[in-house]
Amino acid sequence: MNKISSRQLYFFLAAVAPVGKLILLPVTLAHYAANDLLFPAAINFFLQAGVIALVLLLAKNGLSLGELLQKTFGKIGAKIILTIFFAFFFYAALCPLIEQKLFVQSIFYDTLPSVVTFSSFFIFSAYLCAKPLSSYGRIWDILAPVAFVGFVGIIALAAGNMDFGALNPVGAAGIEKITQGAAFTNYWFFDSAILLTLLGKIEYKRGMAWKGPLFYLLGAAAVMLFLAVFYGIFSEIAVRQQFAFAKIGKYSPAVGILGRIDYLFVFALSLVMAFYSALPLQAGIDCLRQAYGSPAGKLLPALASVAVNIIMLVLTVFFDYRFAEVRRFVGEMLFWVFPIFTLLLPALSPLLKLRVRKREVKTS
Amino acid sequence: MNNKFSRFLKTVPMKLWVILVAVVFFSFFSNDFGLVDIQKSAIILAAGIDKGEEGYRLTTQIAVPKGTDRTTGGTSSVEITGKGETVSDCVVDIYALTGWVPKFVFCNLLLIGEDTAKEADCMHVLDFFFRNEYMPDSCFVAVSQGSAEEMLASQSAVDDTSSLAITRLFSNASEKSGRVMKNTLREFVISYYGPSESGFMPFVCSFEQESGTGTESSGGGQGGQNSNGGGSQKKEKVYCVRRTALFKNGRMASILNEEQTFACNLVKGKVFSGSFVVDDNGKPVSITVLDNDGGVKFETKTTPKATLTVKLTVRLLNRSTPSSVDDVSLNVVTPELLQKAEDTIRTRLEEVFALLRETGCDLFQLNRSLYRASKAKYEEWKDTLLATVPAEFDIKIKSTK
Amino acid sequence: MKNVSGDLKKVEEELKKLLPAEDVLTFPFCTERGLNCTVIFADPLTDKELLGDQVVRPLLQFEGKPTAEEISKKLTFTEQRKQKKLETLAEEILAGNPVLLWEGMDEGIIVGTKKVFVRGITEPPTDIAIKGPREGFIEDVKINTSLVRKRFKSENLRIEFVKVGKISKTFVAVCYLEGTSEENVVKEVKEKLSKIDIDYIPDSSYLTHFLASRPKSLTKQVGATEKPDIFCAKIAEGRVGILVDGSPIALTVPYLLVEDFQSSEDYFVPSYRATFTRLLRLFALFLAIYIPAFYVAAQLFKLQLFPVKLLLTIAGSIRDLPFSPSLEMLLVLVILEILNEASIRMPKYVGMALSVVGALVLGETAVSAGFVSTPAIIIIAFSGIGLYAVPNLIEVTSVVRLGMLLVAGSVGTYGIILATGFILFYLVTEDCFGTPLVAPFSPLVGHDLKDSLVKYNLRSLDIRPKTLKSKNKRRLNRE
Repeated sequence: MNKISSRQLYFFLAAVAPVGKLILLPVTLAHYAANDLLFPAAINFFLQAGVIALVLLLAKNGLSLGELLQKTFGKIGAKIILTIFFAFFFYAALCPLIEQKLFVQSIFYDTLPSVVTFSSFFIFSAYLCAKPLSSYGRIWDILAPVAFVGFVGIIALAAGNMDFGALNPVGAAGIEKITQGAAFTNYWFFDSAILLTLLGKIEYKRGMAWKGPLFYLLGAAAVMLFLAVFYGIFSEIAVRQQFAFAKIGKYSPAVGILGRIDYLFVFALSLVMAFYSALPLQAGIDCLRQAYGSPAGKLLPALASVAVNIIMLVLTVFFDYRFAEVRRFVGEMLFWVFPIFTLLLPALSPLLKLRVRKREVKTS
Repeated sequence: MNNKFSRFLKTVPMKLWVILVAVVFFSFFSNDFGLVDIQKSAIILAAGIDKGEEGYRLTTQIAVPKGTDRTTGGTSSVEITGKGETVSDCVVDIYALTGWVPKFVFCNLLLIGEDTAKEADCMHVLDFFFRNEYMPDSCFVAVSQGSAEEMLASQSAVDDTSSLAITRLFSNASEKSGRVMKNTLREFVISYYGPSESGFMPFVCSFEQESGTGTESSGGGQGGQNSNGGGSQKKEKVYCVRRTALFKNGRMASILNEEQTFACNLVKGKVFSGSFVVDDNGKPVSITVLDNDGGVKFETKTTPKATLTVKLTVRLLNRSTPSSVDDVSLNVVTPELLQKAEDTIRTRLEEVFALLRETGCDLFQLNRSLYRASKAKYEEWKDTLLATVPAEFDIKIKSTK
Repeated sequence: MKNVSGDLKKVEEELKKLLPAEDVLTFPFCTERGLNCTVIFADPLTDKELLGDQVVRPLLQFEGKPTAEEISKKLTFTEQRKQKKLETLAEEILAGNPVLLWEGMDEGIIVGTKKVFVRGITEPPTDIAIKGPREGFIEDVKINTSLVRKRFKSENLRIEFVKVGKISKTFVAVCYLEGTSEENVVKEVKEKLSKIDIDYIPDSSYLTHFLASRPKSLTKQVGATEKPDIFCAKIAEGRVGILVDGSPIALTVPYLLVEDFQSSEDYFVPSYRATFTRLLRLFALFLAIYIPAFYVAAQLFKLQLFPVKLLLTIAGSIRDLPFSPSLEMLLVLVILEILNEASIRMPKYVGMALSVVGALVLGETAVSAGFVSTPAIIIIAFSGIGLYAVPNLIEVTSVVRLGMLLVAGSVGTYGIILATGFILFYLVTEDCFGTPLVAPFSPLVGHDLKDSLVKYNLRSLDIRPKTLKSKNKRRLNRE
């Protein structure tokens, strides 16, 4: 349980990570790039895949991010960087969590429920965050087939109603809109940063550095298929179809006969999403754990977990009716923040290895 | 001290569990965080909207549970009408009148009154439903002859609830007969916001049951609240959705008759069991469609050109005169009759196309096809396309041998 | 530890000091040649007739040298052992085995004429098979080990006895196949057993608390069976078995959750049938846990989970109920649990009557009186039936079902999803003797899936489960 096997990592990249991109990413992409929504998504996926390859190269020496930073920048430097990473993950978790909250309020209830109902998520999240990040590996073994079944079920139910012609004319949005779409939706793509925190917990296997990105692109292909189906079903009105994955199944004739069987698949995907939404918070707490050790045993992660989740609960309640503003702030005004932590720093991370190696050569 | 603290830490998880269980129990027994459960909800099966001078009138058909007695079958319902300046205002009015929270999650039919559809852009009416997260956009939309309120309040001859009788006419089987062009809220709104800015809805009318195909019910709405569960002496009605209302920019522009609706369905390639009548030297002959393929081809090389294709495999269903035993056993449609059938469909499609040019309703979504083919040409031709595009009709009918 | 000396009187006195109980009797006698002998035995546990016939009577004519070797030859009872240590002799007496002593001895002879009180070997009520063996374990560890030995005529079968319990000194037999069972597991079991410091072990279930790595865990941590064929099959797979004197329930470790979805009969029917029934059990379990919860959540928070016609039926039947949907369901569930508890403990004929009262009188009358609705009774009935499809997990699933219901009534469907996530995470992080509880699903072991919730043809199961890390991998030659 202390290590995440290569299979578990591939499951995460191919099946769990893509599920987090099904809630509001499609409608946001449609907002920026209309029928060209596949292109900005593809740009982000390819960039992530490239960086994931670089991060997985680092996994070979078995050192954790904390250890690598410590060997390169010393104890204090490592602590500072890890604390910054913690802050980033906290920031990165905000939008997906508000998004998750809105999704839950819309899909799991017939009328707008009280804000209290979503607080149950933070109890769940606090429990997960108190556990070591490496214990996530086993749950990915379970979540991957659940995600697969949920995704295939939803797509199968939606199959009869889509019109891929809606994706034409290709390039109508123009390069500017497409790049804008890619830039302003990059806050959904933080998987490479998550992988950084998994360093040292991954059981490295040969070929992981190319297989990992390949599996990630496989998941990306599934998301792209979903985006195509999404736009094929809603075309001109796609811009206001939030939480589309929970809606596209209901147009199937089977739903008319059997009732909302699409909810079975929606619930399956929601289960996976719940785990994925808690992941940035858990990664952040893991950064704290690495930075400040655990002198009081499990106390630090447990306390940090409770504190972080309470703060996040307050924030999600506070920003409940201001999501558009938060999204504009995070996605548009500060769109450059995410590439620093999800592209630049992970891409530079192999340099840590070189530095460590140089130091080792010197000391020997 | 250290020992005490570590002992305290050991008991923390258990204490947390106890607190969690207590919270769950508390919320279970005191749960009313704005909760609207089944007993507080009005389950709306259909909604009808009429617009008058005073504002909107929203008539909701609310399902009424029959209790544990299941021997009678069917679904009882009651119609409640709310008034207001906007549709949502009407919903609030209904809440105030009944004390039940109106829930649209099961609403499967939106009826728009004929006058409302003709007078203004229907999106004023549909906007509330389109925006509402808890409203299924897979519900059927239709225009009601006369007022929607009256249509919903009418007593169906085939079901306790009028909306259920109407939505039954939008089944897949009905669609295959080619007699109805059904549409959903989602599809209507897509075509409204799309390059064609046009759409359609089935046109619902009712007949009194006593006279069979007798008199149509009169139009015009009446206010107030009605209940078909009470003792009012209403005449039972059957509903017909064979005609189709055409929309341009959300406003009802014209109505396709039954034959034209059938012809349009043939172009859509959705007819697999419908039949139509061909005049054979003054004697009507029924031909049934076994297979149907259709579509609209759009050429954009130099000038746009639309070709409406209909391909049918048919067989003879019924002659109005006695035939020889060979003819009865084979059911083959003769080449002469096939030619006449082709001519009949062509004529109807020409009528349809003429009507579309006249009203500006882009029923076959030519503008959308043009946009998808070339954005530049769409920009060039979009304003004149429907009026100027030459239309060809490629109709091929073959008989079973 | 003291050894026996040649002075018979002194040894007798020392043994009496060790065993002052009044039911420990001394039977002195003298051979025809004048050799003084004594048999010391625990009165209620010893078969005195056998002792007289096969020990005392032959010795009366003893003429040889008074050595243990010679005396032993004269005895006609086969089960005998020599022992010098006084404490061991005392223990044997308490176990029901008489000790023979004589003047001038240098060691005593333990004669195994213990009186055995056992019931017959019958089919266990908890694991009834239509096809396959019907033998069940009984309360005697010796007989139980013989049932195991009967099935393994192999020198690799090891049965090691450990005494557990300061007062009860209960015999616990650790059974495993040398070279097949994982050594670390065997070592860990023995270590854990040796560390148990308790007065009395009435049943094997006591041991599960000491064997479990997380004794407070919600889930089972040790496998249990009453059938020797299942017990042996598990040992043959590489597990370690534990038999406890006085308990018909044998334990096996490591335990995998999937074991409880399997029955012995699955191996005696075609594989497609076994697969079907296993999946059916899983479905039944899901039904048992989730159907009351979803029913309540749907009524309170998400009506769309019902098809409209069903919704109207339900709305009709709950129209005049005095309780909220969640409270109504909780009430019916609690009544069912009480009925269940009462009918299990009742004598059979009363139990039957109680079931009739519960099912017909209470159910029917409660509905007519408007206390509960018919759909609620049906839902709980479905759930109850589903629960019993996997009998070994009832303790856990009934608690989980109640928890789900509470969560559903508080937070709705999303609460059910989160609770499911919580349970899944909890399960996947559980280990039993170094083996993941949810294996072979998490961590995924592709090969072991062949005999998990699905069952492949017997010929496909040529390799032992990889999860159990057995050194002896192959168990069947496919050629």
